[in-house]
Amino acid sequence: MNFLLKKLKVIKAVALVTYKEWSAYRTHAMVSIFVGPVYFIVQYFIWSAVYSGKTSLNGMELSEMLTYFGVTTLIGYLTMDFADWNLQMLVRTGKFLTFAIRPIHHRFFALSQKIGHRILGLFFEFLPCLLIFVCIFRINLRPANYGWIIISVLLAFLMNLYMNYLIGMTAFWIVQASGVRRVYLLLQSIFSGGLVPLVFFPKALQKLLLFLPFQYVSYVPAMVFIGRYTLGDVSLPIPQIVGLQAAAVVVTALINELVYRLSMKRFTGVGA
Amino acid sequence: MFKKYMGIYVECIKISVSTAMTYRFNFLLDNFIMLVSNTLFPLVTLLIYGSGAEFPEWSLYEVLLIQAIFTMSTAIADIFFGGVLWATMRHVIEGSLEIVLLKPVDCLFFLVASTVDFSSISLFLGGGIMFAVALSNIGRVSVLMVLQFIILFIAGICVMMGISLIMAATSFKWVGNSRLPEIFDSIKYFGRYPQNIFHKAISAVTSFVVPVAMIGYFPAAALLGEANVIALAAILPCIAFMMAGVILFRHMVHMYEGVGG
Repeated sequence: MNFLLKKLKVIKAVALVTYKEWSAYRTHAMVSIFVGPVYFIVQYFIWSAVYSGKTSLNGMELSEMLTYFGVTTLIGYLTMDFADWNLQMLVRTGKFLTFAIRPIHHRFFALSQKIGHRILGLFFEFLPCLLIFVCIFRINLRPANYGWIIISVLLAFLMNLYMNYLIGMTAFWIVQASGVRRVYLLLQSIFSGGLVPLVFFPKALQKLLLFLPFQYVSYVPAMVFIGRYTLGDVSLPIPQIVGLQAAAVVVTALINELVYRLSMKRFTGVGA
Repeated sequence: MFKKYMGIYVECIKISVSTAMTYRFNFLLDNFIMLVSNTLFPLVTLLIYGSGAEFPEWSLYEVLLIQAIFTMSTAIADIFFGGVLWATMRHVIEGSLEIVLLKPVDCLFFLVASTVDFSSISLFLGGGIMFAVALSNIGRVSVLMVLQFIILFIAGICVMMGISLIMAATSFKWVGNSRLPEIFDSIKYFGRYPQNIFHKAISAVTSFVVPVAMIGYFPAAALLGEANVIALAAILPCIAFMMAGVILFRHMVHMYEGVGG
């Protein structure tokens, strides 16, 4: 119990400092209040035109499509992450040393930072855009089940952190890992479902995506929100896909810890 | 005067090329990323048509033609004006624009010339290939259509330049905001698709107020034989937009106090 209380204290302290630090740049976050709705307007017209004369495309109706784009945008604000950039910078400059000697795990520190940063995102990106989507665009943003969507978004939050942290750790081996980061971000932007629902991809690719981690960041929570999940002809009930998402998070966390231990053996603290 | 400026510009291009050759792996990687990340939006079009759906009254190759032209325009703008924003932003943050202002050349010209960066050359080639494929699938194109296309394409580049300069000018006041391009990227998004899918009020704005329709749509319409009076009339706001960028930038330089921050 004492252990948990101590952990909570660390989360609170780090999250609060991060929140205050980034509050100074809150107008940066507020760019989303313009950009998010503008992208949505374009998506609205694209898909309204594409659906003209059609009720369903790849099993999705127009109203579901609009909900999908609204939800992926909003979930993005809650789960956005830059642990990869941060860790890579710390390793390259040698500043990681100050974390290696602290009595807390750096990943836990990164998690606490992310919590603070995303609470800021909640106030300055998520809530304003939610209001615009619901009150002005009149999109149906009522989830199929509140319980499952909250769990799924929390899992996506962790998944994004663990995946990015894994990418950030490549810096222990190749120092200037920005290339790896950019390639990963590119793959993630295509295959997480942010661009277009994954059911629009060719069947063979969909089957491959079933086994890759990308879908758990965006596509899975969005489909949990809508209330049904299909990919590559595999349809799963919501509790099962959320269970699978949880399993994926656990596996990624374990791989993360393994790579972290290997990294610590390599880390020299010199920087580059 | 003209000769002096041309000489400086050529020197800047030489420096940019030799920098790229020195850091060639980084240059190739940048080129690769630029190419792949910018070919994402035609991917959506391909997936839409691959699903048996379409934009009403538009064939796949006609839509791809718009997007290919948009891609080429983006690449040209990235190469020739893309760095102005970041250079200006850095100078404003550090309070070091004086170094540029002290030089016996025009400040805006120097910033544009010294930030030429060929990292988008592969994007231009990628756009060019897409353009050739789309063009070979849309039927005959007359000389008049090509002439109209060239004029409208140049007008589109003017819009891109205007956008770059307005962003750079904004960075004088909205200091250090690396998300500034996202705002304009989202507006440019309207220019990537056939304008008849949008509400009339929106396409009026994208044609005459923030003329992003000129970046991809109008030049493509010219090659499809549909360049009407509206397309030609929309050239004027494009030039006005570019001028607005130049005037705004100069105004901000005038207001610049050099304190950093």
